[in-house]
Amino acid sequence: MSGEMLERQKILLLSVADNVAVAIVPIKKGDVLEIDGKKIGAMDDIDFGHKIALREIKKDDNVIKYGEIIGVAKEKIPAGSHVHVHNVKSLRADRHE
Amino acid sequence: MSELNAFMNPDGKAAARNHTLILSLNSFCNTASFNIHRSVSPTVLITHPHGRNEIGVNKDRLRRSLMGNALNPNVFSVLVVGYEDKTTSSFVNELKAKTRKPVESVLVLDNGTLGATREGSEIASRMIQINSEYSREKLSIADFTIGLKCGGSDATSGIASNPAVGKAVDRVINMKGTAIFSETTEIIGAEHILAKRAANKKVAQDILEAAKRNEEMAMSLGVDLIGTNPVPDNIRGGISTIEEKSIAAIMKSGSSSISGVLDYASVPLNRGLYFMDSPSAASEVMTAITAGGASVILFTTGSGNPVGSPISPVIKITGNPYAAKMMREHIDVDISEIITEGKSIQSGSDKVYRILEKTISGRLTKSEILHHDEFAPVPVGL
Repeated sequence: MSGEMLERQKILLLSVADNVAVAIVPIKKGDVLEIDGKKIGAMDDIDFGHKIALREIKKDDNVIKYGEIIGVAKEKIPAGSHVHVHNVKSLRADRHE
Repeated sequence: MSELNAFMNPDGKAAARNHTLILSLNSFCNTASFNIHRSVSPTVLITHPHGRNEIGVNKDRLRRSLMGNALNPNVFSVLVVGYEDKTTSSFVNELKAKTRKPVESVLVLDNGTLGATREGSEIASRMIQINSEYSREKLSIADFTIGLKCGGSDATSGIASNPAVGKAVDRVINMKGTAIFSETTEIIGAEHILAKRAANKKVAQDILEAAKRNEEMAMSLGVDLIGTNPVPDNIRGGISTIEEKSIAAIMKSGSSSISGVLDYASVPLNRGLYFMDSPSAASEVMTAITAGGASVILFTTGSGNPVGSPISPVIKITGNPYAAKMMREHIDVDISEIITEGKSIQSGSDKVYRILEKTISGRLTKSEILHHDEFAPVPVGL
């Protein structure tokens, strides 16, 4: 141990297949988060319970949470970005586009 | 095996409560029903804005939800408040044919609201006294049907409360109990996971078809599920799509095999885990699953949700530390330590199961204490 205070985990990975993690505390833009030994910088403020991209998700690529497809990216989502209704859409009962 | 302290009702069915029900058959009878409920105590009350000029599926669903709730094990006697003789006796005769519970009726037509109130209050007071003589006895969880519902879902629902309730449900099913989950819109995007858990091909097909019908209804109505489901409080809580909501929602049903798909307000024919095809809003689902015989409901919530049932205790469970604080008057089981302290799902599940046993054995839920007795027999909807 480096003697630093052990910081409380801020994001939760629900399945190894996921490309998003869930904030379990409110995250500020610029916060550096650690998951599985990898560091990731938050590109946006992310509320409690909201999702953060763990790596770049290309337009039309699947967004994976719980190891399952929860929708597709409406645009390129850079790693560290807030992932939500502004950049993800449902594949179900969708009449648009 | 742990024992429960519960009632055996006049039909020989295990019950968590011994209610005297005042049941209004249509909107004209709501005032007299409410007056009786206020005049004599304790009674439970069912009122609703329907019952006149209903046609087709709506008429059928209203009848089944009223009949089913009158037949719920927690109801020990029923006072039906009707408007005129023909429809009232048709309902009363069908009910009497299906139960040994005392069933009586009063009419508003030719008596007036005040006459029906006086006559009904006298009948109800006799029923209350008889029901008060029942005492609790040792019964097993195998004798109960547990209803499942989630409402005000957020990201914590899929991480903490639904998985914890799912494990508690597995325990109920392993002990030969029965459970019903529902919310057809909220299996869309997760129906492939449920189909894999189906007891046989027919059940798998019924699950997939229920989801498909629901999705097609949404599209034929020209609505986009976004804005309807997930609802704004789900989106505030971090849920982006119906798939994300559904995958988390079905976790509350645990991992047991699914024995069958039930029509709206229908009773399971055997023990085990059942899915009921029903609209998804909280009061509508609880009305349908209490009609299906659920005598206690495990209700998970992210942001907090106040609704209850006139018939069955509703146990509110949250994994959200903010809701546990801001909506504490509505929360029966706080398992937010799964999020805040990294405690196990199993520890949360044990907490849920203990409160389930206590509630069946007489512990009042917040929804009962706060008079949350919403009843929403439903028209067709999503």
